[in-house]
Amino acid sequence: MTALPFDPLLLAIVSPLVVALAIALGLPKRLSVKLAYVGFGLPALLALHAWYHFPVGLGSDYAFTTNYNTGLESMGISLKLGLNGISMPLFALAGIVGLAAGLYAIQSGAERLKIYLMLLLTMQGGLMGVFASIDIFYFYFFHELALIPTFIMVGIWGGRDRNYAAMKMTIYLTLGAMLSLIGLIAIYVKSGANSFDLIALREALAAQPLADSVQQYLFGLLLFGFGILVSIWPLHTWAPLGYGAAPSSAAMLHAGVLKKFGLYGLIQIAVPLLPTGASHWVTILAILAAFGNVLVVGLITMAQRDLKQMVGYSSVMHMGYAFLGIACLTSMGVGGVVILMVAHGLSVALLFLLSTCVHHRTQTFDMEEMGGLAQKAPVLAALFVTATMAGIGLPGFANFWGELTIFVALWKFSTLYTAIAVAGIIISAIYGLRAAARVFFGSPTEAFTEVSAKHPPTDLRWGEKLPALILLAALFFIGFWPKSISEPVDGALSRDWPAVVSTAAK
Amino acid sequence: MTPVQQALLILLIPLASAAIIALFLRRKGGIASAVSVSAAAVIAGLSLSLIASGEEINKSWEWMQLGGLTISLGIKFDDLAALMLFVVSFVGFFIHLFSTGYMHDDKARGRYFAGLSIFMFSMTGIVFADNLFMMFIFWELVGFSSYLLINHYHEKQSAADASKKAFIVNRVGDFGFLLGIILCYWTYGTVNLTDLGEISASGGLVYSKLIPLLLFCGAVGKSAQMPLQVWLPDAMEGPTPVSALIHAATMVAAGIFMLCRIEVLMVPEALNIIMWVGTITALYAALSAIVQSDIKKVLAYSTLSQLGYMVAAFGLGSLVFEHDGHDVLVFAGVGAAMFHLTTHAFFKALLFLGSGSVIHGCHHEQDIFQMGGLRKKMPITFITFTIGVLAIIGLPGLAGFFSKDAILLLAMKNNTVVFGILVFTAILTAFYMIRMWKLVFFGETRSDNAAKSHESGLSMTLPLMVLAGLAIIGGYTGIFRKLGGSIADRVPHAHGSEHTMILLTSIAVLIIGSISAWVYYKPGAKDSLAQNFNGLFNGLTTLKESFDALYGYYVAKVQQRFAMLLNFLEQIFLAGLIIRGFSGLVGLLGLGARALHVGSLHAYVHWFLLGMALLWVLTSGLF
Repeated sequence: MTALPFDPLLLAIVSPLVVALAIALGLPKRLSVKLAYVGFGLPALLALHAWYHFPVGLGSDYAFTTNYNTGLESMGISLKLGLNGISMPLFALAGIVGLAAGLYAIQSGAERLKIYLMLLLTMQGGLMGVFASIDIFYFYFFHELALIPTFIMVGIWGGRDRNYAAMKMTIYLTLGAMLSLIGLIAIYVKSGANSFDLIALREALAAQPLADSVQQYLFGLLLFGFGILVSIWPLHTWAPLGYGAAPSSAAMLHAGVLKKFGLYGLIQIAVPLLPTGASHWVTILAILAAFGNVLVVGLITMAQRDLKQMVGYSSVMHMGYAFLGIACLTSMGVGGVVILMVAHGLSVALLFLLSTCVHHRTQTFDMEEMGGLAQKAPVLAALFVTATMAGIGLPGFANFWGELTIFVALWKFSTLYTAIAVAGIIISAIYGLRAAARVFFGSPTEAFTEVSAKHPPTDLRWGEKLPALILLAALFFIGFWPKSISEPVDGALSRDWPAVVSTAAK
Repeated sequence: MTPVQQALLILLIPLASAAIIALFLRRKGGIASAVSVSAAAVIAGLSLSLIASGEEINKSWEWMQLGGLTISLGIKFDDLAALMLFVVSFVGFFIHLFSTGYMHDDKARGRYFAGLSIFMFSMTGIVFADNLFMMFIFWELVGFSSYLLINHYHEKQSAADASKKAFIVNRVGDFGFLLGIILCYWTYGTVNLTDLGEISASGGLVYSKLIPLLLFCGAVGKSAQMPLQVWLPDAMEGPTPVSALIHAATMVAAGIFMLCRIEVLMVPEALNIIMWVGTITALYAALSAIVQSDIKKVLAYSTLSQLGYMVAAFGLGSLVFEHDGHDVLVFAGVGAAMFHLTTHAFFKALLFLGSGSVIHGCHHEQDIFQMGGLRKKMPITFITFTIGVLAIIGLPGLAGFFSKDAILLLAMKNNTVVFGILVFTAILTAFYMIRMWKLVFFGETRSDNAAKSHESGLSMTLPLMVLAGLAIIGGYTGIFRKLGGSIADRVPHAHGSEHTMILLTSIAVLIIGSISAWVYYKPGAKDSLAQNFNGLFNGLTTLKESFDALYGYYVAKVQQRFAMLLNFLEQIFLAGLIIRGFSGLVGLLGLGARALHVGSLHAYVHWFLLGMALLWVLTSGLF
């Protein structure tokens, strides 16, 4: 399976953390930057390695498994690492987006660059850990490890309204995290498995499922806990505001990767462990997602003038598709969600990156004060239009496969919700193309003419182009060769989910 | 080389060409155009040899499989695909060639030719698609390439708006199309076209109006049928060769091709609706064409009208044919629609390229009232354009005559009212075409641009001559059978008294329409109709603009205001009141969290670290 003389997953988690620690201990700036390349590059390489070597038709659930005693075994906690068909694509996503965000941050020339890189590297270590952990205590621990730097980065390097945004983000996300923590601990207590090991929990609960009422209560807790983290309507308002204010690399990592924690928790933990509980909640989930996330937030996205907030709202809208896919409670629906999670992570990170590139040239995020940028920066325009097309689910990009699979699966759940979800492709085309047109096409507005007279805009530099191309390449790769991701996902789902589906259906 | 390999090459060569141009040749327009044109030449050659070989292909590969849903990438190459492939690759190649001349001085030639190559890739994908998912994928991709190319002159606000409109309106159609595909998938367990044919042959089809009508939504968008016709006239903002290739000959005809692909799913009620949509579109667009003054807009409305003809032909459905002494019921709509699609591709591409040559010669003047007298200045363009005009108005012996007659015959036998409307539309067609022809080529030149006009170079006149040749011979049964094989057998042919009747109708239509236009329109800077019958002129203009006005009102006043309202409510209620109240109600947790965090981020970190340390200490048994 793997010929490496070390544990690739542990190395992927530890390497950014070690670099972060080294920087914190006072490394000189030049060396810090060089080491940061290693800290972002190594996890990406290891993640791709894991993807390439991931065994298809896996006999056991997880590949690359290892177990480390961290001194907490008396509580049933140990650092157990491994990847299954669902976590592997997300682990790879974390590596790729982390690399792109890191490369962008290194050349961004941010103030107090060392601290910025240190926080980003900490976040990166946490992200790799979230998706590599089989133990749900560490799963949660790594999430927090990645979350805290986000707040700090918004608070220090954020844009407009950064204090309010940081505050709001902190309140919401802490609330979400706490609710899910309570849910997870409750599962641990009720299962009687005396272990936080997900595999052990699954076995214990498969042998002796929790009572329906308990499942219903616990799933509700987890649904809203995780749901807040994924910005379920109406608990989504932190997202556009927070992303609007966050520095671009932090927004890329949070919207692209960390936000997927909640969905991942639902798919990997909540639904399989509490299938009957899930079946109680799907109607509510679907209503909130279809009417709230897709329709209402979709329309709100159309009304945005601020480019970055527009991207933030569009991301909330696309999470509606993910919730709808989960509500299907079928392997097809959930499979579509996993693909969409990866695809959306790549495309939203790309859009945040390019929005910041736009900002550097227009000095504003207000789309009413832009226009005609394509004449000055054709490559930026081309990449932005491409990223928009990826985001609105054009075939040839990864997002299409996720959305299509969810739409097909959704039909069996409800034709009404399918129609609403599919109407989303019109809504997203409207706001996506409208934004592209306002920023890049037509003649420049007066405001932009003034700005460009003062700071003549240039086209993308390599430091901006390279991270964008990395993300775009990944979107194209999955778009043209969806099997690269659908095969492991399908493998994992076809093994675990028939039981879940049949239990939930009862 | 096996046929499958040939087909794959035809599909992938333009993709490679687009990728090479996008990655390496952005600033090297000359090389980019050479790459793109050679790619088009190679696929035209390969297509001809594939069509000539007469092989059928039915092969598919699994593309993605997830939770029981399998989506495959397949090639279905039969007579229908062969006919469409000929139109796409052959007409496509000559339009590429024309573009080298027309776009020679454009500073973004690289982007233009990359766009053309992406289009060729997407369009051949539709032609080869063996299942509806795959067709949808390439369907969206042609929409994307159309967006790119309409937006070629992106510094013009009108071009930016038109491209956006085209994409969004198409997505409205695709909304229905995709739902139809999903419904079809769950109803029959497959969306493979061959499998659906087999299910139909074994009598396993469920009687469903919804499936064909939802799928038809896709065609309404792509082929710009009412009420989604609004994007096509605006799409004329793109460079003229693009209008010829995408918005006249091939992409907009994809809707008709798709309908012919799913003919087995059709039921009478659905066909009836399709027929009426096509008929009304044909009439509406012909009426609108009369009041246009932009040479490309006249052609755009004419295209709409002719697409309506094809859709109506398809909807007219079946006819009893005599075959070896037996009467057999044949779905003649497919034959008539595809026949007209083919001849229309020839003469409409010719007309658009001819208009391109005129526009190029007249230094980008597009107003027909500013032209005049170009007959002598641009002789080759004039002669070939004239052939195109005569073909579209149905001069006996030219391509359009045969295909239009096939449709009229089908209408005469199946539905008299539709027949009447289509005949009237044909009169209008002759009327507005001759109007334009006279204003552009005859009389005195009426502007400096027209006075300074010149004949275009060989790269532009050669495609005109080839297409003119096709517009002459393309309608003869022998030629069409070579291209269309069994499709040609399904074209209705009149016999005996019906033959005389149809022939007389066509000639009468031709004479009434063209003579009245010739006599009525005086060469001048003003529209004769607007001067003499202002009410009629304004009425037609209002009719034309009513849809845009309605949609404009909806988008700006209803949709956008509703969005703003929701946004306002979001900012006020959700962000402000409800959530804060809610978080209070959650109880101690929410309050505690707020109390801990208000004002200090560092406090959170400290609390977290403290908690972790405490946990560690507890579990390690230090206490």
